Amino acid sequence: MSDLLVLGASAAVIVFMVAVAAVLGFRIDARLDEAELQRLAASEGARLSEAVLDLSGKAALARLDSGRVLAARVMADGISTRVAATDAVRIKVNGQGVRVAFADIGFPPLVVRLGDQAPGWVLDLERAR
Amino acid sequence: MNEPIAAPFEIPPIITYAVPGFVLLILIEMIYVRVTHKGRYQFADSAVSLSMGLGNQVAGLLFGGLVVASYFWVSQHRVFDLGWTWPVLVACFFAEDLAYYWFHRVAHERRWFWASHVIHHTSQHYNLTTALRQTWTGALGFSFIFWLPLVYIGFPPEMVLMFQAISLVYQFWIHTEAIDRMGPLEWVLNTPSHHRVHHAINPRYLDANYAGVLIIWDRLFGTFVPEDRTDQIKYGIISQLGTFNPFRVAFHEWAGILRDVRSAKSFREVLGFIFGPPGWSPDGSRKTSASIKAAWARQQAASVPAE
Repeated sequence: MSDLLVLGASAAVIVFMVAVAAVLGFRIDARLDEAELQRLAASEGARLSEAVLDLSGKAALARLDSGRVLAARVMADGISTRVAATDAVRIKVNGQGVRVAFADIGFPPLVVRLGDQAPGWVLDLERAR
Repeated sequence: MNEPIAAPFEIPPIITYAVPGFVLLILIEMIYVRVTHKGRYQFADSAVSLSMGLGNQVAGLLFGGLVVASYFWVSQHRVFDLGWTWPVLVACFFAEDLAYYWFHRVAHERRWFWASHVIHHTSQHYNLTTALRQTWTGALGFSFIFWLPLVYIGFPPEMVLMFQAISLVYQFWIHTEAIDRMGPLEWVLNTPSHHRVHHAINPRYLDANYAGVLIIWDRLFGTFVPEDRTDQIKYGIISQLGTFNPFRVAFHEWAGILRDVRSAKSFREVLGFIFGPPGWSPDGSRKTSASIKAAWARQQAASVPAE
């Protein structure tokens, strides 16, 4: 019982500290744009061939000149990326959205909302697998 | 039966007693960062770190008995009867810190142990909440085996557990960007500067500064790397996590091991995926610390003009 009390109190303190962090303004989110994608591609030793950005600027899918696929997701004020061969990625086009899934559970499926029809190279990637 | 020598005093719950201090220091650091902009916080990141800390406590309640039982069982077969004397306490402090160094080094160099330890490195931030981002699977992953030689030699299990707790409490305050270098203390102690290097993913800093309390072990075993102010530190892991879900954070590397083992084509590959360095693959196509550092070294050498 005392263990449960300690855990309950700990959870309450966590909520309090996270609220303090939010009140202090630690809520800034990163944004993706083409320049950032170019930089991310360069860090993989490649160049950007084509890219689609989510309407919110928080997700992106790109094809690199190496033929590989780069997926990027904003993680609060940081960015997480995955670069993989096209056959290691499952891409599903659904209306004006693209769903990109990897086997890695540390990078859940990424949804890129386009606001328009998916370009041909994305449809090619969908068909490639 | 050779019962362990009992502690001559009641050992307080050191970590529980330290928690109010942790909370206070985190709040102070948040305000300091807000005012000075020295350091970074993000509330979602802190929420995950603190949730992982809470999960670690739950895991301790569920599986901590396995660790304690193992210590007491091994202690029954100890070589020497080292009692609770001052010289033994001093020796145990050093021995525990040395055991921590080797645990920590192997936890970075072998994927089985990395699967538990990686959780502590998954934040892209480095602040006091990062210190509390702890594993849920350490006991189940047998991380405690690195301390068993101590109780086998004859250090009382409660003494070893006490110094483990003290080490953990010590390591809390070094997770900060708010403190620069600390003069002569940098020679002997693990400091915020040394530990920033440990959490960095810049190639030059990979697999360095494994110390718990004393940095002397890194200096002794050749894994010490000083912080270079000209190279801005990037924190996290090579493949940064794309989730704030604590369960995905806790189990992602174990899931990766399982996935790789299923795809293995030989027993050698199975062993490589489980006990090889993180990033090991049969064809060498994935990145390991060694390959990243080697590529960086080649790049550095190529950028130096020939005389």
